[in-house]
Amino acid sequence: MKPTRIKALAYKEWREILRDRLFLSLAFIVPVSMMLIFGYGIKLDVENIPFAVLDQDRTAMSRDYLHLFMDSRYFDYKGHVQSERELEPLLADSKIRFAIIVPPNFQENLKAGRPVAVQSLIDGTFPFRTSTSKGYVIAINNAFNGKLLAGFISRKMGVPPGQAAALVEPVKVQLRYLYNQEIKSLWSIAPTMMMFILLMTPPFLTALGVVREKENGSIYNIYSSTVTRAEFLVGKLLPYLGISIINVIILWLMAVLVFAAPFKGDPLFFFLASVIYVSCTTGIGLLVSLFARTQVAAMMITVVVTIVPAVLYSGLLVPIASMDAASQFEAHLFPAMYYTDIALGSFLKGIGMGQLWGRVGALLFYSSVLWIAAYLLFHKRVRT
Amino acid sequence: MTHSTWNSSGSIYLWWSRMAAMTSKELLQLARDTLLVLAVLYLFTLDIMMAGGVKMDLSKATVVVHDADHSPASRELIYRFQQPYFQLGGEILDQKEGIRLLDQGKALMVLDIPPRFQHDLIQGRPTEVQVRIDTSNTVLGTLAASYSGQIIGQYGFDAALQRMGLTAEGLAAVPMFVDRHRVWYNPNQKDSWFMSISELLTVITVLAMMLPAAAAVREKERGTIEQLLVSPLTPVQILLPKVVAMTLVILLGTALSLTLVIKGIFHAPMKGSLPLFFAVTAMYTFTMSGLGLFVSTMSRNLAQAAMMIIMIMMPIILLSGAWTPPEAMPVGIRQAMYISPLYYYIEVSYDILLKGAGIGILWDSLLGLSLLGSLVFGFGVWRFRRQFRS
Repeated sequence: MKPTRIKALAYKEWREILRDRLFLSLAFIVPVSMMLIFGYGIKLDVENIPFAVLDQDRTAMSRDYLHLFMDSRYFDYKGHVQSERELEPLLADSKIRFAIIVPPNFQENLKAGRPVAVQSLIDGTFPFRTSTSKGYVIAINNAFNGKLLAGFISRKMGVPPGQAAALVEPVKVQLRYLYNQEIKSLWSIAPTMMMFILLMTPPFLTALGVVREKENGSIYNIYSSTVTRAEFLVGKLLPYLGISIINVIILWLMAVLVFAAPFKGDPLFFFLASVIYVSCTTGIGLLVSLFARTQVAAMMITVVVTIVPAVLYSGLLVPIASMDAASQFEAHLFPAMYYTDIALGSFLKGIGMGQLWGRVGALLFYSSVLWIAAYLLFHKRVRT
Repeated sequence: MTHSTWNSSGSIYLWWSRMAAMTSKELLQLARDTLLVLAVLYLFTLDIMMAGGVKMDLSKATVVVHDADHSPASRELIYRFQQPYFQLGGEILDQKEGIRLLDQGKALMVLDIPPRFQHDLIQGRPTEVQVRIDTSNTVLGTLAASYSGQIIGQYGFDAALQRMGLTAEGLAAVPMFVDRHRVWYNPNQKDSWFMSISELLTVITVLAMMLPAAAAVREKERGTIEQLLVSPLTPVQILLPKVVAMTLVILLGTALSLTLVIKGIFHAPMKGSLPLFFAVTAMYTFTMSGLGLFVSTMSRNLAQAAMMIIMIMMPIILLSGAWTPPEAMPVGIRQAMYISPLYYYIEVSYDILLKGAGIGILWDSLLGLSLLGSLVFGFGVWRFRRQFRS
């Protein structure tokens, strides 16, 4: 490995990138615009669920009950219907996601001390939204039931209403949210987005850069030159690595300044861990480029090995802890998961090397395996 | 038969035969790139299988307990944190250890039961348990808060009834209502139905943009476009076969993954009309390939095209409404979602496949999709034709 040759190769690659103005600007615009769009766009909170009401009772009590839903910021009241048959097309067309049916004689039965069944229909198409809506419905119903029961007890036992309410709910829950007190999804999304963007863009840059030489045939210049394999790989990839490292800094600044995510950890540790992560994802692109002969194939393989796991197995949308064993295993095969822990830990929890050394080690191992595999698989002699 | 009609029917024949020849050329070119074929096959089968295995709900989240009471009452509360949502991760002796476990991500939640918990319950004095939740992952944190609130609330309610000497049978005489919620379309809330269909729609989106764009840019980059331009083919005859060939591939792949994976493995019900679904898919593929063609006219090489496609595609996928409910979005983003073709396509696909909705119900979304589609595709074709005029 001669530094001068590496320098020459890196310089040649850098000139080539510089002259492709569109490509150069996209290499920086894509990460920044993705960060902006997702930072402002991803909101996992379930709010304003559109719902309709079928009130077959139409009494003061049924209206009181329904107002609990209408006044909640989690639900968005869309109107009353006259019969159960009208609800079905509304649900099928996704005009509403949820419906409540209050039976006839709701007030009369409750006043007479008879139990009543209230039906709610929930759209099950999007499971996360379904379970969250179900949680809201149960909570509202429990609150109303508690009030009913407290009223009943205070009448029957002759205790004041305040005391009756305490009797009904003897155990209070004090919830404390750690690391993200107001559950701002933006705070967790900004660090996670760094993981996502740095997983997607470097492999594309790298894979296409190398395969382009293969497809154009300009790689034969390298094959016939005195440059060794290791020199070629290092020199070729240095500029791409450099671009990604600059992107790390830009994205970190955006997370902290634009999205106001708190950064509690050690900046130097986080920066070094990010460089290791970027060398991992660049390595993925490198490995892909050695298998693919055409740029189209390189592009599709990169999609397969980066975008899909980035969406599914990185903890961005689906928490890894709640996956089944097989998916958890797959998640451990991709570097994204480790970096998500590092990013969230550094930003929100303020922990460093002491707790995260295992994750950093995994990334380091991952990256060296990729680079060694690339070195072993790259041949200057074309095999036919 | 007059001469002129013979001539026009002849030219129609010629037009179609050229189209057929070019389409088969595109298909051959695709088929010979073994790695590409494998990647496409993988996306339509194994990838969707893997996605279907992903669960979205809270599952076996680890709860550690700091029990300062050690009474039958506290133990009963602790043992209510059970699977499928929670699992007990053991007892800790002090608060600091709880924080340490949360820091390391070894536990999601710490349940803290105060001393004299049972004593207070029996005396009818209000007591308070503390729950600390790691909310660095918002989804998990919210679900854990909601479920633990439900468990503790139910426990308190049961304890109150017990204290007042009311049993479950005695409840019949109490004015309370029973909550009977039913979940429609996916009664057991199987994540696999949602995840596999959503992944299929993502795969279709990715391929519909990338394949035609790549096919168009490649000719430019290699210079083979010059050969096509000196041939008697019109620009539309060069471009349309690319889109048609890739649409055929995508429809074939969709059929494969619907029968083998989504119905075969995950047993999702195909309630609606499959011809309607395939017609909508073809329409959607044309729309997205219009975007792909637009990108191809802007770029000179595939590296540029790939970066631009990512920039257009990722927001379309993540803001499609499958992950983030449009109702909860800020107004600006919600409006942006309404011009995303994938938003309509996702709604229509779930409505057809899971809910069994037909044209009668879906006409407005279909209208939106087809308007958007013809606009985008027309724009792509216009840009593609224009680049040859220079």
